[in-house]
Amino acid sequence: MNLFRSEEHIGRWLGGREPGATIPVGKLSELAHAWWDDRLSPAWRPHTPNGNQAILGRLGLTADFWRLPHP
Amino acid sequence: MNEDDLALRNLTYAGFVELGRAPTAAEVAALTGRGQAEILSGWERLHAGHALVLDPATGDIRMANPFSGVPTAYRVQAAGRWWYANCAWDAFGICAALHSDGRIETSCPDCGEPLHVAVAGQRPDDDSLLFHCLVPAARWWDDIVFT
Repeated sequence: MNLFRSEEHIGRWLGGREPGATIPVGKLSELAHAWWDDRLSPAWRPHTPNGNQAILGRLGLTADFWRLPHP
Repeated sequence: MNEDDLALRNLTYAGFVELGRAPTAAEVAALTGRGQAEILSGWERLHAGHALVLDPATGDIRMANPFSGVPTAYRVQAAGRWWYANCAWDAFGICAALHSDGRIETSCPDCGEPLHVAVAGQRPDDDSLLFHCLVPAARWWDDIVFT
């Protein structure tokens, strides 16, 4: 899970490997704040798979790539 | 996760923030009055529940996501000190968890050039950068350190 200068840099770094998913850094920041905001709260409880999937969905990350395992 | 393990998890995270690094089992044991073996077994249950990640060789904390217990390529300045993040996502996550603006320092994995990102009001100051996630979400926990 890395930051890159551009698509060209990602392509070179992949070196023929199958690409994963690429999103703009602004969306990453939104995602991180939604995902980690409660991490130090004394009221923290483990996120459920459905809850985490909903965070991804609210940010438009709905492709199969972003589908979490559901036990 | 039962209430005892949840309390241990919260105390461990609080210790991480207080110390600016991963606390040792001895340090957490001293805070709780419990034995070190009890802390280690609690950490193992938290590891199994993906609430912490332990180093398999030492039993030390490798990740208390978004914080890293070991040096990484992602350094974050937030809330008055420097931290290591496990990845780019977690670098923003440290600002989120601390409810703080911050500064992320890393380098492009392709060209090695430094990348500096200031985070203010939850927004990065450079919108041109891209985040690439190689591993699909369904497999993130197959090998979380690689992910």
